[in-house]
Amino acid sequence: MVGRVSELCGVVSALMILGSVLLTCQMIWVRKINNASTVWQTETVIYLMIGATLLGLPYVQKLRGHVNVDLLPRLLPPAIVRWLAIVTLLAAMAVIGVMVFYGVEMWFVSWQKGWRSDTVWGPKLWIPYLAVPVGFTLYLLQLLADLVAVVQGIDKPFESGHSH
Amino acid sequence: MDPLFLGGLVALCTILVLFSGVSVASGLLIVSAGFLLAFDGLRSLELMPEVFFGKLDSFALLSIPMFIIMGSAISSTRAGADLYEALDRWLTRIPGGLVISNLGACALFAAMSGSSPATCAAIGKMGIPEMRKRGYPDGVAAGSIAAGGTLGILIPPSVTMIVYGIATETSIGRLFLAGVIPGLLLMLLFMSWSIFSTWLQQGRSGALEARSFSWRQRIEILPRVIPFLIIIAGVLYAMYGGIATPSETAAVGALLCLLMAMIIYRLWSPKALWQVLRDSTRESVMILFIIAAAGVFSYMLSSLFITQSIAAYIGTLEVNRWVLMGFINLFLLVAGFFLPPVAVILMAAPILLPIITSAGFDPYWFAVVLTINMEIGLISPPVGLNLYVINSIAPDIDLKTILLGSLPYVGCMLLAIVLLSLFPGLATWLPTAVMGVAV
Repeated sequence: MVGRVSELCGVVSALMILGSVLLTCQMIWVRKINNASTVWQTETVIYLMIGATLLGLPYVQKLRGHVNVDLLPRLLPPAIVRWLAIVTLLAAMAVIGVMVFYGVEMWFVSWQKGWRSDTVWGPKLWIPYLAVPVGFTLYLLQLLADLVAVVQGIDKPFESGHSH
Repeated sequence: MDPLFLGGLVALCTILVLFSGVSVASGLLIVSAGFLLAFDGLRSLELMPEVFFGKLDSFALLSIPMFIIMGSAISSTRAGADLYEALDRWLTRIPGGLVISNLGACALFAAMSGSSPATCAAIGKMGIPEMRKRGYPDGVAAGSIAAGGTLGILIPPSVTMIVYGIATETSIGRLFLAGVIPGLLLMLLFMSWSIFSTWLQQGRSGALEARSFSWRQRIEILPRVIPFLIIIAGVLYAMYGGIATPSETAAVGALLCLLMAMIIYRLWSPKALWQVLRDSTRESVMILFIIAAAGVFSYMLSSLFITQSIAAYIGTLEVNRWVLMGFINLFLLVAGFFLPPVAVILMAAPILLPIITSAGFDPYWFAVVLTINMEIGLISPPVGLNLYVINSIAPDIDLKTILLGSLPYVGCMLLAIVLLSLFPGLATWLPTAVMGVAV
């Protein structure tokens, strides 16, 4: 279930990146060919990229795509590696939990006070800010799923990763 | 607590946390949160999501996913193999033409893809078997591709340089230009060593002998190679011609490369396209997550006055600037052995840059030296990424041969650093000539 959600996030994130490619090209077209000025594009592209990053977190975690240093885990015996994986996953979950908690607070304040971005277009900030709590919450869920897999012995930690 | 001592403590904890195998980005967040909590209280954590968001809130960062899409569209096609074949057909009359065309293809593909492992895989798949078939020693075949692949992060457009530009607030266009001559210099050094070493082992006969292709064979391959080269040249021209910013040109380049891959290489199927998009998303998210996490990390360092104290402390040291540079190089080299270039740059560059500039070094020159250090890390044990790529595409060459074959190329890179130190103009001349003196 969590895996499915993470994959869906991956698709959304990839589409957001593709969207930012197309929108940037549209922006250049409007400016250079039509000689018109662009108001909302630059900011939208940035927010799309931020959204893609945050929503992409659970998906990349699922693909084991977050780069790590796996030198030590490769040298240690499997039993210790399992405990190491549990401890590191718990530590990561704790700090991502902090990001979720204060991310919700940041989003809530911006929504309650109606903060707007400091530009001509001035979009409401709660919309891009929403990516922070949502992205980190889904990331937290994927980390939890990974933790359960390690504890149950389904998953061998630190394997088939995109490691350096 | 003394900020300098605290800095040492942070460094130690960061090393311990990163070596536990946790992902680099999460590791940086864990260390940042831990130190903020311990020395600045619970409320200081409140700003973490805001700093994280703020770090990503930049149009310049967009160039990273854009260049990654460009590279991944090119890498997913046979473009690497075609490029290699084209060079092979055109350069056969030169003794050692094959290894020269391999390294030339690496440099060109590196320019197009901006990625070291992708370059190794794309050129090596064709190049290594061909070189071995023609009698080149295994070590030279594997080593030259492993080393050639590292040019990917030095020759523009390079994601590593973009990350340096963002971390140090230096001009990305200027950084790209600074990498050109040193990249060519490295390529020449690699070529010289490859030919010399083959000659040493076999004499003039055998592998180094010239071959010939008909003009027809030479010309028929060009239409498949030239479009990509035009796109890259176009992207760089648009950037330096002041027509658009790096992010904008990269977006156009990404779209054009995707279209080219679809038209020339018939990359039509949704599955193949999704793969390009998926790989780019994975790579981009991974790098952007590290960038944002490193932003939180440097926020922690400066709110605990660590960055400022280190810079001030180094300023009081009465050491020769070259001794200082030697130590910095050593540090970068060791860090590069264990960490990916992006992570090293994001963690080290903001701290090192004030030290470098106050010692009278040029930040663009330093970017090149730093990048070459990172290149060495890519082909050195214990975690040299390129070595493993070569190992996976040529499984019958054992890792020891790959490793020993790559070592002389590490020597070439060290020589390049020495040359750059003796003649800093190698890195600084081109940016100044094209864009004027840096302000």
